[in-house]
Amino acid sequence: MNIDATILGAGVAGLSVAAELSARGARVRLIDPEGAPGPLACSWWAAGMLAPLCEGETAEEPVVRLGREAAAWWQAAGAAVTQAGTLVVALDRDRGELDRFARRTGGHETLDRAGVGALEPELPDRFASALHFASEAHMDPRAALETLQRTLAARGVRIERATPPQGQIIDCRGLAARDRLPGLRGVRGEMAILRAPGVGINRTVRLLHPRHPLYIVPRGDGIYMLGATQIESEGRGPASLRSVVELLNAAYALHPGLAEAQVLEIGADARPAFADNLPRIVRQEDRIHVNGLFRHGYLLAPALARMTADWVLEGNTSEFLQ
Amino acid sequence: MPVFYGVEIASPLMLGTAQYPSPAIMAEAFHRSGAGVATVSVRREAAGGDGGAFWDMIEGLGVPVLPNTAGCHSVREAVTTAHMARELFGTDWIKLEVIGHEDTLQPDPFGLIEAARILCEDGFRVFPYMTEDGILAGRLLEAGCEVLMPWGAPIGTGRGLNNLYGLRTLRAQFPGVPMVIDAGLGMPSHAAQAMELGFDAVLLNTAVAKAGAPAAMAEGFARALEAGRLAHEADPMEPRDMAAPSTPVLGLAELE
Amino acid sequence: MRITVNGESSQIAAEKLAAALDELGYGAARVATAVNGEFVPAAMRADHALCEGDRLEILAPRQGG
Repeated sequence: MNIDATILGAGVAGLSVAAELSARGARVRLIDPEGAPGPLACSWWAAGMLAPLCEGETAEEPVVRLGREAAAWWQAAGAAVTQAGTLVVALDRDRGELDRFARRTGGHETLDRAGVGALEPELPDRFASALHFASEAHMDPRAALETLQRTLAARGVRIERATPPQGQIIDCRGLAARDRLPGLRGVRGEMAILRAPGVGINRTVRLLHPRHPLYIVPRGDGIYMLGATQIESEGRGPASLRSVVELLNAAYALHPGLAEAQVLEIGADARPAFADNLPRIVRQEDRIHVNGLFRHGYLLAPALARMTADWVLEGNTSEFLQ
Repeated sequence: MPVFYGVEIASPLMLGTAQYPSPAIMAEAFHRSGAGVATVSVRREAAGGDGGAFWDMIEGLGVPVLPNTAGCHSVREAVTTAHMARELFGTDWIKLEVIGHEDTLQPDPFGLIEAARILCEDGFRVFPYMTEDGILAGRLLEAGCEVLMPWGAPIGTGRGLNNLYGLRTLRAQFPGVPMVIDAGLGMPSHAAQAMELGFDAVLLNTAVAKAGAPAAMAEGFARALEAGRLAHEADPMEPRDMAAPSTPVLGLAELE
Repeated sequence: MRITVNGESSQIAAEKLAAALDELGYGAARVATAVNGEFVPAAMRADHALCEGDRLEILAPRQGG
């Protein structure tokens, strides 16, 4: 069988590109020496927030615009996307942070205590006001990666550990491709997964805090993902005690019930980013790279996959193509 | 332009390198403002990590770097951190922070004097982050510091010059000593005010990095500093209680 | 021997600091070192003997304000 394209790397970028290309009729091959995505892929440690509006607080405009495609793409790909919105809160002392966040983002409504209570009955005691981004969504990123693998398998595409590439090479290896992509750097992120069956939070909640900002994403069945830190470091080693303590303390400030939670996992990894924290599709002699998704892997992979397919299959350029 | 330990810097804006939305935006803030000094830190590095990328970016800015001892709470920590920073950045400049309280991030004046003495004896050029206390200032000068860095307000609060009287007194008490307002500035007007009072420079980070458009805010600070510097050199008028018309009174028509 | 590297327990075979840095994967990285809270200059690493239980800090340039 003739292969049109070979994708290197089975993280969220590689799997999304493979899914998009194969959905549009291309015959693809997917290679990753580590096999199916697991703890060695930074995609494994993602939050799974599909929150383009909130990201607009610090991200450049294309992230907000292109991120809007994400929820529909993932849904069409078969992932279980929860469209419950994002609630952004701050402790009373830090109300100014909420005002600033509101000024820099769009598509939100301001809730008072009663409004917070209507959405999240366990939170209003602590938060007199909040911003609600009703259009945003979240999903379980590991489940989403599995879904893509199943979809691909049904199309006859399996993740191969070693096999000769054929056709157009599409390099989606993240930081592993840095020797070919000068300027690519690692940005460390840390997270924890908690089991807290006594806590009922229904949607992504972001706590704005001058020192320890935090987000919590429900994964269902009393499981919650906590994330926070963004560190300019390429270290991929385990999280330090200090950053874990700060993360968990901030979680406790958000919801005291989390004090009783069991810590199921603590994870850390470095995400690939270019200097402007925007992704790129880079043409080189023997391949094209899809890289630099930064902390927007699940948010931007759909748009990047579409642009990559547009280029590979139809020769159409796009804003990230270099 | 200010001279610190014999080195003239290109701008009275000393700018931090942390908390920007992206490295590209940080570089833009430096370029657009013409900031004269970049502050940096040292932190734990994981195996396989490479601080080289950040270092290359800082070198690309083409301005002197001022490493800090941010987060140090004891003399020993601060002194060791200073030595590590000197080796990493190849400069004997050190922004000496000995933090006395975790919540307010107020400097510990006692530890600061001791650490400053040890580091000055060891050949460091110390920039002490201090309160606006005149006695503390005198002791730091005795310890060998040739630059002082009183705070405007606690780090990261953006409240401006909290104790105007104290800062004015400090400035008047040590007229020949280069002084930098370090920390607590939120708006360009705060920086202009510092320069109007006769301070030589300001050091800030959050006010620029956390602005919606960091590069524009950095430029705003640079312009305000220039305005304040010109005003100080121009010998401003003294405020007075009595209103006095600026248009001549003589020759006023009688039209009643 | 067992030492603490940046707050985490680590088993190393090397006896000198320079060799330990290689063994721990720091190679030619731009880092500065301290052992038990005392700075160890790069030039002294080859001769600096490590002991069981030593606390090694390995720092690199980073953003700061």
